[in-house]
Amino acid sequence: MLDSFNQTPFLHGVITIGSFLLLTIGLIGALSKKNLFKIFLSLSIAEASLFIYFIGMHFEVGKVAPILSKEVDKFSSNMVDPVPQAMILTTIVIAIAVLSLALSFVINYFKLTNNLRIDEMDELGESR
Amino acid sequence: MNLKKEIRIETIVVSLVISLMTILLLSILLNFDVSTTNSLGSELLNINESTTQSANAVTSVVTYFRGFDTLGEVTILFLSIFGISLGLDNMNKKSNIFSYENRLLKIGVEVLFPLIILFGFYIIIHGHLSPGGGFQGGVIIASGFLLMFLAKNDDFRLNHKIITLCESFSGAGFILVGILGVLLADRFFGNFLPLGSVGDLFSGGLIPLIYIFVGIKVSAEITALVEYFIRIKDVG
Repeated sequence: MLDSFNQTPFLHGVITIGSFLLLTIGLIGALSKKNLFKIFLSLSIAEASLFIYFIGMHFEVGKVAPILSKEVDKFSSNMVDPVPQAMILTTIVIAIAVLSLALSFVINYFKLTNNLRIDEMDELGESR
Repeated sequence: MNLKKEIRIETIVVSLVISLMTILLLSILLNFDVSTTNSLGSELLNINESTTQSANAVTSVVTYFRGFDTLGEVTILFLSIFGISLGLDNMNKKSNIFSYENRLLKIGVEVLFPLIILFGFYIIIHGHLSPGGGFQGGVIIASGFLLMFLAKNDDFRLNHKIITLCESFSGAGFILVGILGVLLADRFFGNFLPLGSVGDLFSGGLIPLIYIFVGIKVSAEITALVEYFIRIKDVG
């Protein structure tokens, strides 16, 4: 019974549906929330869905991590692809950098205007 | 709260359509010729043992095969911290937004702080042997400093000269290693050190050196970032 769940197509389907739902949640938050903090945190949730998708789709049942240990003593084709993991490591660091810069802009904006809601922003004189 | 008023049905439909398109596009891209045996990853796995002697193939991809990419990544992190420090200035006049008077935290941090720093350096130095590396170990070291900020409110202040020195010397060392690779070996970040054998601490050629520089740089930058975000309350 459990063996039928431990198959590569089933796991890829779970990862696809899960990252699809996570991306939807992030986009709904980014489009409908009014608080600047919540918008940027929703965008980082949407980014996390793509990380999960890239890492998960390159996993196959029966393959091991590309690291040598006592059990695995030779690099072979029985290992998962190391390139997506390295690229996602790069992407995670860039996501941290962009999120921290955006949050510092939010803090500065709040210090200047005492306002975080995007529907009350009036710095460019829209409502006048 | 009135969730119904805030989230409209059009937003949900638009988000669903965008996510569906994105995931479909990515799955088409990923399924394109990914099952052949001659993918980039298997080629890199084949030549990994002869070129780098590193036990961790992800590490050798990050630092050796894509070292120039890692340089760009570190540069982006540095520019982001630079932009933040332009906005939030005068750190010495700010106070901590979290002010706990917790005896347990204050005594526990004396024991935990050196252990966390030691564990972070362990993760950095063993990046080519086990899961981990410069970025992960740097973030662990920064988490130790976060614990210090939480425990010792305003008594603990970073010496920004030391942070700047760590950051600039490790960044300069990173680029210097790359230029030495051009001069002594074949390319930028080419390997000019003896390779050693798989599994030893002194193996992998250039990889531990690059990861030590990256680890010091990332830990200094994330520590500065934590201080910028935790110390934003004006005193006066």
